Amino acid sequence: MQIEWPEVIRSIFSERGAFAASIAILFLGVLGSYLVWRWTHRLLRSAGVSDAVEGTPFERTARSFGTSTVGIVSTIAAVFVYVLAIVVAVNLAQLGNPDLFWARLVGFLPSLFVAAFALIIGLIVGDKAKLHVSERLRSIKLPEASIIPELVKYSIFYVAILIALGQLGVETMALVVLLAVYAFAIVVVALVAFWDLLRSGAAGIYLLLQEPYSIGDRVRIDDNEGIVQEVDMFTTRIESDGEEYVVPNQKVFSSGIVRIRE
Amino acid sequence: MTGLDEFLEELVADADAVCLFSPGKSHYETLAGDDVVVIATDNDVEADAFVKLPLEFQDLRDRIRFGVEGAVEHGYVDADADLVCLAKVFGEDADTVARVRADEFEKSGVYDLFANSRAEPSVIRDVLEVAVELGKKGQKGKPVGALFVVGDAGKVMNKSRPLSYNPFEKSHVHVGDPIVNVMLKEFSRLDGAFVISDSGKIVSAYRYLEPSAEGVDIPKGLGARHMAAGAVTRDTNAIAIVLSESDGLVRAFKAGELILELDPEAY
Repeated sequence: MQIEWPEVIRSIFSERGAFAASIAILFLGVLGSYLVWRWTHRLLRSAGVSDAVEGTPFERTARSFGTSTVGIVSTIAAVFVYVLAIVVAVNLAQLGNPDLFWARLVGFLPSLFVAAFALIIGLIVGDKAKLHVSERLRSIKLPEASIIPELVKYSIFYVAILIALGQLGVETMALVVLLAVYAFAIVVVALVAFWDLLRSGAAGIYLLLQEPYSIGDRVRIDDNEGIVQEVDMFTTRIESDGEEYVVPNQKVFSSGIVRIRE
Repeated sequence: MTGLDEFLEELVADADAVCLFSPGKSHYETLAGDDVVVIATDNDVEADAFVKLPLEFQDLRDRIRFGVEGAVEHGYVDADADLVCLAKVFGEDADTVARVRADEFEKSGVYDLFANSRAEPSVIRDVLEVAVELGKKGQKGKPVGALFVVGDAGKVMNKSRPLSYNPFEKSHVHVGDPIVNVMLKEFSRLDGAFVISDSGKIVSAYRYLEPSAEGVDIPKGLGARHMAAGAVTRDTNAIAIVLSESDGLVRAFKAGELILELDPEAY
């Protein structure tokens, strides 16, 4: 198709007419890319994108080049439109070789832009996620905890790069396998590490919904007897004579509970 | 204005430490280096010596009292230190200079009430806010009274009995949840106390407290609600926050003693 339709236009117009038409298309391309640039700019701004990306390293790098994330994205969109116009015009005027090269370039352009967008979005989302996670972990004053936000960030970068490479047609099978192994390892580690917590949590949900015992009841779990002071997702607090037992809820299930009624 | 300058110089002379109440960043940095204690709701300036205010006390005397007691408790200043306090009363910037001795007023325990109670400080603050809110608006324009017993809920439940069905049975509402203000306002119409656990869960409403009232020393003229509040805090490790129906003040009790008195209208 793509090779056919310039021929159609050329047969409608004369040789000169086609040249004039291609010049006109070039101008239209300039106008169109300008409009696209303005609309994306306005759209992104009104969607609150510029506020959302404020402070991320990508935005800061963009600022140091005298532009912004919104600017870069809208410029890419404008360039896309303009390159498209140039390709159409060149094809029409038959300046270059009207063979497969242009057709393939046109076919390749969208993936190139999708790849660029995927990279930009990945960089920004990664940084944002890192900020968010480190904000959450701020109350934990543990130096080792600072590795978690970095892990989250680079995981997202990795996925973004995978998408971008996939768009460009690079063979990514090995990388996908690596990602799967990585995700599997995280799930396994989480399961093993949080096994007791998960069991306590499941028991805690039952305890909170059914309330077989509640705050103020006198109970005995294993050998710990006292008044229930607090029941939450993971633990039950039992107090007697200035001693407070923090019993994991899973224990309430495995060994049962004795309610003591006077 | 040499007289004024002299007076101010004399006022801040030989102070052992400076108490900054909710300072701005630049403000803090110009004073950093001296013995500075920052007293604010949030540690925005990342000061080393920091006392957390549970709420912005409108009354300067309450604010200074809380801050100074906190600073002494933390060991930032000595118990007999001379302190200069910079605070904001009217505007957004510090506009007031006050000089106090740390042992000038007898220890009221207002800092102790928040920091060293069984319940978490944020829970106590939330309950105080609910009480203040209730005191301001009342129930449909009429003044209401309320009694909140916070912390040590297990023991409090054993020293009280239900007056009616407990509306909070099998519910998991915590003070500070957005719906809570409305619920408490509705339930405050009926008599009895609210029991709130250490972590802020509302355990019960309509509780009739049955502590022994021996040796409870509260100001004369306060009613049965205050007496019950004072007595229950003596018998258990809980604290009690009372909204008075007659004079509309919010009072906090701990260990059988009146610790704090707030006027809801001032907030």
